[in-house]
Amino acid sequence: MRIVRSVRHKSCADGSFMKEFLLSTPIPEGFFAYLGNFGKVEALPNIGEGFYKFEKPDWFSIKGFTGDTTVEVRFKKEVMDLTVDFLYLLFTTYREEGTDLRVLKQREQAVGRRVQEHLYGR
Amino acid sequence: MADNPPIIYLNNAATTWPKPPEVLKAVGQSLSLPVFGSGRTTGSQGEDYITLAREALAGLLAADTPEHVVFTQNATDSLNILIQGFLAREAGCHVITTELDHNSVLRPLHELERQGSIRLTVLPFENGSVSPDAVEAAVTPDTRLMVTAHGSNVLGSVQDVARMGELLHEHGVYFIVDGAQTAGHIPVDLGALPADAYVFTGHKGLLGIPGTGGFYLRDLESVAPVRYGGTGTDSFSLYQPREMPERFETGTHNYPGLAALAAGANYVASIGMKAIAEKAERQTAFLVRELKEEPNVTVYNESPSLPIVSFNIDGVENDDVGFILARAYGIVARTGLHCAPLVHRAIDGGRGSVRLSLSWFTTDEECRTAARAVKEIARNANSSVGSS
Repeated sequence: MRIVRSVRHKSCADGSFMKEFLLSTPIPEGFFAYLGNFGKVEALPNIGEGFYKFEKPDWFSIKGFTGDTTVEVRFKKEVMDLTVDFLYLLFTTYREEGTDLRVLKQREQAVGRRVQEHLYGR
Repeated sequence: MADNPPIIYLNNAATTWPKPPEVLKAVGQSLSLPVFGSGRTTGSQGEDYITLAREALAGLLAADTPEHVVFTQNATDSLNILIQGFLAREAGCHVITTELDHNSVLRPLHELERQGSIRLTVLPFENGSVSPDAVEAAVTPDTRLMVTAHGSNVLGSVQDVARMGELLHEHGVYFIVDGAQTAGHIPVDLGALPADAYVFTGHKGLLGIPGTGGFYLRDLESVAPVRYGGTGTDSFSLYQPREMPERFETGTHNYPGLAALAAGANYVASIGMKAIAEKAERQTAFLVRELKEEPNVTVYNESPSLPIVSFNIDGVENDDVGFILARAYGIVARTGLHCAPLVHRAIDGGRGSVRLSLSWFTTDEECRTAARAVKEIARNANSSVGSS
C-alpha cells in the first residue's frame, strides 16, 4: 500500500495542517493495529467497516476507515518537513503478513530526535 | 468508503445547498448576454439584475427604500464597511458586542481596539442570548456603537434585537445587526426594526450563490464610505457620488451572483417566511429530541429558533464525529469553532462542537438518517478501544 497523491488540504483551527491522501489500495484490517507500534490508536470498530484514529503526538495523526482508499492526516505544521517521509514509509512498509519493524523503529528514533530538537531545543 | 452514500447536506448555516432551479437558471441567463448597467450599452435585451436584486431584497426584508440596500461581497465585507465607515467619525469611542458574535464582527472590532481606536466591551450571553437590559447596562456616556448577531450560528438562538435597538436608541447608540443567519430563515421587518443597519449574506438563507452579500442602511450620512472608485455615474466628478447606492458600491458588480440573489430572494418570498420557519422549527425540534435521548450527547441549545443544532458526543472529538458522519453516512456537517470562538469558550471550553444545520430543502428522511447516525456513533463511543 502506498500514498498515491494528496487530494485535499487545509489549515485547521488547531494550527495543524490537514492533508487527505489517496491510497493505492483499500486500508487492510490490520493496518491500524500495526500503527499502534508507533503511537496511540483509538477505534470505533462497529461504525462502518471500522473507524480508526492514530495519534503520534508532535508528529501527525491519521484517521480513516478500514476498506477505504483515503485517509486524513493532520500534521504538526512546525515539523511537517521532518515527519512527512516517515508517514509515507508507514504505508509502503506495511505488510499484511507481518512487517519488519526494526528499520522503521530506527528511523522513528532518528526523526524523533530532530523533532524534539526543533520543537523543544533538546 | 467503497460505496459512497448519497450526500445529506446539513451544513446550511455555512452555505445552503442545493439551490433552487430558479437560481441556477438565473445564473446561466445572466451570463448569456452582456451585462446591463449604468453607462453600458447593452441595449434593451439584458436584464437589470442589480435593480431586480435590490427590489427583491427590499421586498423580502420589508425595507421601504430599495436604494438603501447596498450590495457587497459577503456579510463580512458588509460589516467591515459599516464598522469602519461609522467609526471613521467616532474615533476613541466605546463599542459593544457580544460573545455570541462571529469573527466577522469580533475581528474588525478587536483590531480597532488593538489599534487604540475604540474601547470594546464584549457582553456574555445566557440561555443563548444577551438580555437587552445587560446591553443597556453596558452603555457608557461615550458608547457610540453596538454590533451584534441577530441569530447565533452555533446555538441557533435569536436575540431580541428589537428591544436592544429601542434601548440603544434611547442612549443615542448606533446599532448594526448582523443578519447573516436570519435573513431568509425568519421574518425580518426592517421597516419596524429599530436598527440603523442590517447585514445579510446571499448564499445562506437567501439561497443565492457565494460571493454576494450586503446591508440595509437607514441613514446614508451615518456611515462614511471606505471604498472609492468607478460607479458608472457622475463620472466627471473626481469624488465618490453621495447618492445611494453608488455611495458604497464601487467597481463592477457580481452580476451572476446578484441574479442568483434576486432569484433566491424571490423563491423564498414565493414559499413564504412563515412556511419556511415552521418547517425548520419542526425538523429542528425532531433532531434535538432524538439527540437528547442519548445520555452521552450534549445538545448546547435545546430550543433553537433557527435550524441549527450543535452538540458533542462524550468520548469522541467533534472533528472525528464530523469525519465519521461524512465518510460512513454521507452527512455533511460542520465541526470545530464555526468562526465563533467566544461562544465555544462559554459552552464547551473552546473544544468546539458538531453542528447540523438545515435548509428549506432538507427532507424529513434526511433528518431521520442524521439522527440515527449520531445515535449510532454515540452508542458505539462507549465501545471505543485504544492501544499504544
